[in-house]
Amino acid sequence: MAEKEAVALPVRRKSGSLWGDAVYRLARNRAAILGGVLILLLILTAIFARFIAPYTYEAQDLKNNSAVAKWELSIFPMMEPYAKVSDKFPLGADALGRDLLSRIIYGAQISLAVAFIGPIVALLVGTVYGLVSGFFGKTVDNVMMRFVDLMYAIPTMLLIILMMAFFRGSLNLSEPGTFAYAMNEIDKRFGGMLFIFIGIGLTAWMGTARLARGQVLSLREQEFVLAARAVGSSNGRIIFRHILPNILGPLVITVTLAIPGYISTEAFLSFIGLGVNPPTPSWGSMISEGSTTIRTYPHQALLPAMALSLTMFAFNFLGDGLRDALDPRLRGT
Amino acid sequence: MIRFILQRILWTAVVLLILSLITFGLMHAVPGGPFSREKALPQQTIDILNQKYHLDDPLWKQYLNYLYDVLIPRINDKPATSLIDSYLINIKLWDKTYFRWMNFGPSYHSRSRTVNDIIREQLPVSFQLGVLAIVMALIIGMPLGVIAALKQNTVWDYLGMSMAIFGVSVPVIAMGPILVWIFGVALKWLPPSGWGAKPPYLLFFIPRDLSWAFWKHAIMPVVALGLVNSAIIARLTRASLLQVIREDYIRTARAKGLTERVVVSRHALRNALIPVVTVLGPMFAAIVTGTFVAETIFGIPGLGRYFISSITNRDYPVIMGTTLLYGMLLLLANLVVDISYAWLDPRIRYD
Amino acid sequence: MVKKISVILSIVLLASMLLTACGPTETQAPVAPEVQTVVIGGTPQVVYVTVPPPDVPEPVAEAKILRQNLGYSDVPTLDPSLSTDTSSIQIVEEITVGLVRLNELTMAVEPGMAQSWDISADGLVYTMKLAEGIPWVRWNGTEVVPVQDCEGNTRNVTAHDFVYGIQRTCKAETASDYAYVLAFALAGCGDVNNGVITDVNTIGAVALDEYTLQLTFLTPAAYNLNIAGMWVSRAQPSWIIEGDDCTEARGDRWSEPGFNQSFGPYALKEWIHDSSLTIVKNPFWPGMATVPVPQIEEIVFTFLADSAAMAEYEAGNLDTVGVPLADMDRVKSDPVLSAEFYQGFNGCTYYYGINTSKPPMDNVHLRRAFSLAVDRQALIDNVTKGGQLPAQWFCRPGMTACPTPENNPDVGIKSDPVKAQEELALALADMGLTSADQIPEIVLMYNTSEGHKAIAEAIQQMWVDTLGIKVSVVNQEWAVFLDTIRGVDTPHIYRLGWCLDYPDANNWLREVFAVNGSANPDNDGDGIPDGGVSWKNDTYEQLVVDAAVEMDPAKRLEMYIQAENILVWEDCAMIPLYWYTRNTLTKPYVVRTYSLTGHEVYEKWDLTK
Repeated sequence: MAEKEAVALPVRRKSGSLWGDAVYRLARNRAAILGGVLILLLILTAIFARFIAPYTYEAQDLKNNSAVAKWELSIFPMMEPYAKVSDKFPLGADALGRDLLSRIIYGAQISLAVAFIGPIVALLVGTVYGLVSGFFGKTVDNVMMRFVDLMYAIPTMLLIILMMAFFRGSLNLSEPGTFAYAMNEIDKRFGGMLFIFIGIGLTAWMGTARLARGQVLSLREQEFVLAARAVGSSNGRIIFRHILPNILGPLVITVTLAIPGYISTEAFLSFIGLGVNPPTPSWGSMISEGSTTIRTYPHQALLPAMALSLTMFAFNFLGDGLRDALDPRLRGT
Repeated sequence: MIRFILQRILWTAVVLLILSLITFGLMHAVPGGPFSREKALPQQTIDILNQKYHLDDPLWKQYLNYLYDVLIPRINDKPATSLIDSYLINIKLWDKTYFRWMNFGPSYHSRSRTVNDIIREQLPVSFQLGVLAIVMALIIGMPLGVIAALKQNTVWDYLGMSMAIFGVSVPVIAMGPILVWIFGVALKWLPPSGWGAKPPYLLFFIPRDLSWAFWKHAIMPVVALGLVNSAIIARLTRASLLQVIREDYIRTARAKGLTERVVVSRHALRNALIPVVTVLGPMFAAIVTGTFVAETIFGIPGLGRYFISSITNRDYPVIMGTTLLYGMLLLLANLVVDISYAWLDPRIRYD
Repeated sequence: MVKKISVILSIVLLASMLLTACGPTETQAPVAPEVQTVVIGGTPQVVYVTVPPPDVPEPVAEAKILRQNLGYSDVPTLDPSLSTDTSSIQIVEEITVGLVRLNELTMAVEPGMAQSWDISADGLVYTMKLAEGIPWVRWNGTEVVPVQDCEGNTRNVTAHDFVYGIQRTCKAETASDYAYVLAFALAGCGDVNNGVITDVNTIGAVALDEYTLQLTFLTPAAYNLNIAGMWVSRAQPSWIIEGDDCTEARGDRWSEPGFNQSFGPYALKEWIHDSSLTIVKNPFWPGMATVPVPQIEEIVFTFLADSAAMAEYEAGNLDTVGVPLADMDRVKSDPVLSAEFYQGFNGCTYYYGINTSKPPMDNVHLRRAFSLAVDRQALIDNVTKGGQLPAQWFCRPGMTACPTPENNPDVGIKSDPVKAQEELALALADMGLTSADQIPEIVLMYNTSEGHKAIAEAIQQMWVDTLGIKVSVVNQEWAVFLDTIRGVDTPHIYRLGWCLDYPDANNWLREVFAVNGSANPDNDGDGIPDGGVSWKNDTYEQLVVDAAVEMDPAKRLEMYIQAENILVWEDCAMIPLYWYTRNTLTKPYVVRTYSLTGHEVYEKWDLTK
């Protein structure tokens, strides 16, 4: 999304490395910078949540359950007959009287963690898997892809309930030495997010693997690969220096687009008890809680949904910028 | 190519077998059984039920019995009144003797139905919903992506892509009730819930009545389900097409004097579609699992929500049957995707 | 630039919601609810009835069709022997009629298919005279027609059909979930169910002639008739289940659409699984005083989740609906909806069970502290919002021999933060601790659901505020949860509810909390409970056994009051939270009754539109 240049491209100092060029192009992409700044703000909000949020995320004010701020009433006047108006909550309160703004701020922590873990796992594991499978072809490809098929076909619901039953379900969590105890300790280290990571990790890498493999299949017959071989490059060098940069474009796009899917997975996991435990908030679970009250108190679902949307926009601009920057053939238009 | 397809079909069978083993194991490893009730049944009743459905046999025996019932055909003259002996294929040979094959078992929860009944009546609905959602995603997503790519950095590009991002970021669970509210309750243009087709179906899944009565029920769920995926397809198409358009052979084609339209449609699109096609496989899988949410919100009698509730109810035969079914559909979808690679890009070889 | 667009898009979205939000509001003055007192099971019960504003009935043109929602899941089965779900039972009660019926407003036993009965002197043998000339019917694709036997004569419902139905329920091969209820009461059924005896003719159900049925019970209990009227003792058509010379046997499939045969005021017309179920008026039902000929010709049931059903109601496609919690505030303040709103009796109790064998909850003072510290009214006003009643004891007022808050205000336990702190002090002294944060970790568990989560979180906070104890809140998936709370792993505190099977305190105090009751299982059969609340109190055990056969209602009530006090105060084995209500919306053109038994009686309804 870079702007059209009115003058000829500025001369680059060096015919630099792919990555140097990339950074340069990225820096000139205003939308990507905007996205990056937003994400940075989000990260700061998540880190300094305790100082920014007006209240804690768990303090309940039952008498003011589902309270509404005055400005919200002016946008949704239909709430007038029944809404409790309160100045205490800048964005209103949820069904148990907890401040929505504080919960959204704290929820950023969970959502950001999810938004980063998913793509990282998907890109790392999935890309490498797909690269290897597509490049070496024949039997290797066959076996590797059949394994992916199998993983696809296993219903994740079943896997998830099994995990939940084994780990969270058992109350022998206080007996050191059992597997359940160990898993629970690790879980606590990660702030209750271990199973979310596992759940997302399990589902994230497969799509990327297939995509990467498809791309590699079509690229490996191209001339520049032949040329690299003729020159004597090793397989590894061909894969990582030549093929990888060419496939990163659609991969990055797919992965950034899958982020809301990860957040939905996280919401679902939290809902069935494998995610963060109550009262810890996450945008996904706030949206699913709010979806039932959407005709009565629309702000309870809309506000976290808007936070999510904004984050998505930010990630997408950044993702687009990355793709534009990383594509060696894409001269800025 | 034929050899390739045959080989893949063989692999599919093997994978399904492994899948059945894994599912069976997982199912029984999870605590709770089909007869856990809020008002606890007396142990004696549970024993009787376990006996009736052979749940007191050792696990390996149960698994082998299951495989035997599903895979091995037989000829007998048992009356077909018990739901435990209910076969998918029932060909009358002569007076009271039948050739029978494929018994997926009774449902433990819906005591008057078998797995075959459930799949036969409810899979077509999920199928209709899923197919329509993918079709919608393609019809909306691809042109949007193509236009955005061809008119890069103009208003069309920004508008299209913004709509796409917006579509992706609102999850079905929020989009559904919003649509129901606006179009169902407030404007009353569309029915808030329900599905417009009922069994029997043509060719297994085509509804007999394709008039407005069907479409008015289908619009909102398909939109809710397909919107996310149309956004993904739009962005993917755009990115991929942008990449392909810069290729040298496109420049050649233009230099040759071909119209832009021919250049795009005949040369660029085919290659740009590879990532889109790749993603159709997992997208199909995602939609199939995503139908559960849409079916709950819109009250659609599909297999998705039945599958989820069968897990909660520990309805083992239904879980096995549906898992194998979904697995088979997914594997077939992936096979079709792989075959279409070869068609789209002649350089891709599988041998 | 793009940011502008996204702002515009957001505004467009909000604007469209605005437009829908500001719909035209009809100015109809809300009608104040009327208070009526109804006698239920011998005790007066206050019931609020909203009288719909008088409507000028328009001349009825076409068939009257009622549209209802049965709840999220499909009806599992319509076979009376195999029905366990409330939705199954609802339909079964419309297409068949039991030997006796429970009046839906008073819960008194009244004649059903059995027009009159004699009870023997020892109270064990009931001889019942059945109504004559009521045919079996079925839907043949276009209309309801009577079922004919092989000679072409109409089949009527006879005592033999009831005997067959009872025998089928008790048979081991049928594997009926609720056979144990019959086995508990009816002679011979238990042994057949066990497989000990295979001859079904030993069951105490005999047809003396075509229309005389004799039932032999095991004890002279007051609830024998209740059990005789339950769906498990319903007449069933043997010819279509087993087959005969001119009918093909359908076996377990006999109750499915296309084969279903019934005899009640309605008949099954169509059933598209998971989508809709339609019953149609049976023109061959002659009508009787207690089960009249229906006015409504057709009833269509859907299987929608609560919020989807609410949307359909507001769109005008459903005639009644249960109000989901999420919409409660809006409904109560909307002029149209609040006039259609009804809040009334629902025979269930929501409670937290306490595993009394698991430290630190094995200390009775600590248990009482937890129970006293829950502010039930605040929970009802702010979290559950359904006008529920704060529960002082376990059995739901309205059950026979169950106390009521009006007559017995001091029974049981009430929220009292001051007393809670006193009990906490006693508990700490017992345990030799000085402050609440030294108490080891306590777990509160509920089964995964938004509603239970909200309640658990609110109560968790109440305990923090009043007692300074923060329990860990954990949830489990339903089937796993059920397993956990019945075994030795039962957590300290866990959530459950109980709804009536039949309206008698015996069904509550004995079948739930006595040893080997539903919430107090004795898994190894040694007489000491080892799951659930894991609680045994000999006085309580004796009380509930004696009360089951006590004939004097006043004495019986006293015994159950004593038992309740032991259960919720002296031993405090559970924390009663609230007694359920039902919150429904009904369109003004529906003339209806609000059943207390848990299923509606549609043959008494009418549509004035």
